[in-house]
Amino acid sequence: MPGNPRSSVSAVIAVLGLVLAVLASGCARADSPSAPTASDERPRDEIVVSLSGEPEEGFDPVTGWGRYGSPLFQSTLLAHNDDLEIVNDLATGYKVSDDGLTWTVTIRDDVRFHDGEPLTAHDVAFTFNTAKESGSVVDLGVMESARAIDDTTVVFMLSEPRSTFVVQLISLGIVPRHAYGPEYARSPLGSGPYRFVEWNQGQQLIVEAYEDYHGGAAEIKRVTFVFMGEDATLAAARAGELDVAAVPASFAGQDIAGMRLVAVPSVDNRGIMFPALPDNGKTTSEGAPIGNNVTYDLAIRRAINLAVDREVLVEGVLEGFGSPAFSVSDGLPWSSPDVVFDDGDPAAAEALLDEAKWIEGADGVREKDGLSARFNLIYPADDLTRQSLALAVADQVRQIGIEMIPVGKSWDEIRMAMHSNAVLFGWGSHDPTEMYNLHHGALAGREWWNPGFYRNPVVDAYMDQALAAIDEEEALELWRKAQWDGVTGISGSADAPWCWLVNLDHCFFVADGLDIGPSRIQPHGHGWPITANITDWRWE
Amino acid sequence: MTGWGTRMIAVLTYLASKVFRLATLLIAVCALSFWLMHVSPIDPVQAYVGADMMLVSPEQRAEIAERWGLDKPPGERFLLWTVSLAQGDLGTSMIHRQPVSTVIVERFAASLALMGTAWTLSGVFGFALGVIAARFRGTLTDRAIKWYCLTLASTPAFWLGLLLLMVFAVWLGLLPMGLASPVGVLAEDVTWLDRLRHLVLPALTLSIIGVAPIALHTRQKLIDVLASDYALFARARGESETGIIIRHGLRNVALPALTLQFASFSELFGGAVLAEQVFSYPGIGQATVQAGLHGDVPLLLGAVIFSTLFVFAGNLIADLLYRVVDPRTQAEAPA
Repeated sequence: MPGNPRSSVSAVIAVLGLVLAVLASGCARADSPSAPTASDERPRDEIVVSLSGEPEEGFDPVTGWGRYGSPLFQSTLLAHNDDLEIVNDLATGYKVSDDGLTWTVTIRDDVRFHDGEPLTAHDVAFTFNTAKESGSVVDLGVMESARAIDDTTVVFMLSEPRSTFVVQLISLGIVPRHAYGPEYARSPLGSGPYRFVEWNQGQQLIVEAYEDYHGGAAEIKRVTFVFMGEDATLAAARAGELDVAAVPASFAGQDIAGMRLVAVPSVDNRGIMFPALPDNGKTTSEGAPIGNNVTYDLAIRRAINLAVDREVLVEGVLEGFGSPAFSVSDGLPWSSPDVVFDDGDPAAAEALLDEAKWIEGADGVREKDGLSARFNLIYPADDLTRQSLALAVADQVRQIGIEMIPVGKSWDEIRMAMHSNAVLFGWGSHDPTEMYNLHHGALAGREWWNPGFYRNPVVDAYMDQALAAIDEEEALELWRKAQWDGVTGISGSADAPWCWLVNLDHCFFVADGLDIGPSRIQPHGHGWPITANITDWRWE
Repeated sequence: MTGWGTRMIAVLTYLASKVFRLATLLIAVCALSFWLMHVSPIDPVQAYVGADMMLVSPEQRAEIAERWGLDKPPGERFLLWTVSLAQGDLGTSMIHRQPVSTVIVERFAASLALMGTAWTLSGVFGFALGVIAARFRGTLTDRAIKWYCLTLASTPAFWLGLLLLMVFAVWLGLLPMGLASPVGVLAEDVTWLDRLRHLVLPALTLSIIGVAPIALHTRQKLIDVLASDYALFARARGESETGIIIRHGLRNVALPALTLQFASFSELFGGAVLAEQVFSYPGIGQATVQAGLHGDVPLLLGAVIFSTLFVFAGNLIADLLYRVVDPRTQAEAPA
């Protein structure tokens, strides 16, 4: 091609610049008279919040809206306070029968829906019965029926005792029987702190404070939730259009004028699951191999738990936006304080391995009876955080003579490989059912539950009793015992079926001057749970 | 038999063949999409349950699957879907819990403005740039336009979108960040101008990229025309270069440019998917991406049918315009 390439390049840049300039001036002229958007020009009692996770199916609790608690438009029977203790919301109290099959809940008689109609026990029964039939993510399988005895008393019949049924009382928002129909999800009506105003799907949700809210009217009178991608959210925050912006931890290091970073602790955890059975050539009905001879060895699992330096992972991989994890439920009421131990101790780990006759081989990897301490650590290939964690942990345990080989795979492949390989999973829920499903011997290999086929009859017994307990305190104590009862348990220094690594922080940019109160520990998933205490938010 | 009668028959044959082609195309595309979704690793129930998979029992999963009709064998599901489609029912979207037709109509309305603007702008600018480049072929102007087009043709749309977002929305603060209407304003209070402001960046992204192929094709075609015998003859008669382009060039270039412009419907659709993602613009592209990621088969098939019709319509219009614009094709019998 003839001509001086450099002059061509500059010509291109000149043309590009010219085109953009022309377009920009055209736009600016067309737009200048329209409304300002910067936050300082908004009224003081309005805020704009950007959250990921717009519910495509709408705001119907019956099909899963608000299942992490505090559904915004609706009220629930019970609620969590900031310390995740169970407190009354609509309920004035509840009673479980001695056989654990009948739950009687009494409710307030002074609560009204946003349209002025009173909320009665009939609405509660209607909500639970409708949810049971909805075929949605709301799982009310254990509930036989809900029935209103009078206007303030509702009775739930269960098919078996289930202490975790209380989670449904906390999470299921009550819908009005008189105003429930196919369009409900798109124009929800409840008795919660905020009234629905408008939902422009894919863009924004506008809500206004309900002045007669039984918990006291919110100070922020109008909230707009916008639903944008991560990059757009960051850009909008920079442009001053947002007051609260949920961002991935990778953006948390950014500096945004007029906003501060709030890192909220969570049980959104990451940990390594170990197959707890030996490889006897057995497979599941789908043909997935079961068992791994290296991770079957308790010394290996405990040594890894000891050797991993969780603080280093938090600083190195999460850039400080997280905390060390020692169980699936760190910081929750049913978590045992005894699961925490001094980690990052390679010397103790090596002593443990020496004692168990894992002797260092020629290549620096320990061996026992001809078996090398070498196995795969599988992580979902599309998850950068898990990949970094896998690499960092593999590096740490290499020092004590264990070789974990990080391998990225798709979820489909993980499903087939997870019974015979260590896998980096992530969990974290405000429901102890999760602990049960991850560790109960009877659930081994069912769906994604207990993929390592871990089984300890003592632990199973504690968890079964916890599930069947009638008293909430008693249930919590039993959950804690399942983790460590002084002799055995699922903790990393006992049976160690998992090596928990870190809990992620959920990061939000919050406008200076906006007080969002104390943040409670968030469940897995990012976004809506931050609004749990929205009635307490205020401008300073 | 009159000439009019022959013409009628010809038109009818033409229409019938087009309808037949469209029907077979739709059947093939739907069957293929359904099959692809079936073999894809995405399990719709799993995608729906997501992070709650520890809390949802297998029994409940079965109930969800039953509600969505996923418990039936794939062949039967496709048949059922086809039968209800024949009755004009596109089914219900799994993730939106709304009729597919409602979702598509709502989303397409938003996309229409975006795609329409981008399409017009890229057509006009592309054609103009192509003509200018050909008129001054070999000069610095020509090379600059060519470089500009080649650079843009190799620029990813989402990247350009982010760039525009940074410049115009963050640094200059002239335009909004995304979405299709202002934040915190009720739909009834949103003005025409507001909508326009929100349309500018996504439409710009889409049209800047769309300019390149039109400009390059127009340029090449016009250069061919200018090298032809009749252009040489005109030049010999003393006509100016600009005069030749206006009298002989544009007419001959218009047809390929129009064809290209209408055939670009498919690229327009693809570009809209990316632009809508970047600007959080709630159009049909975003809905299609969601449907794919969640294994929402009814919505995805609805979007597939819709986009097929859209692209087919583009090609058909190009075909018909040929006949209207070019007197030579009218003289020949329709194919």
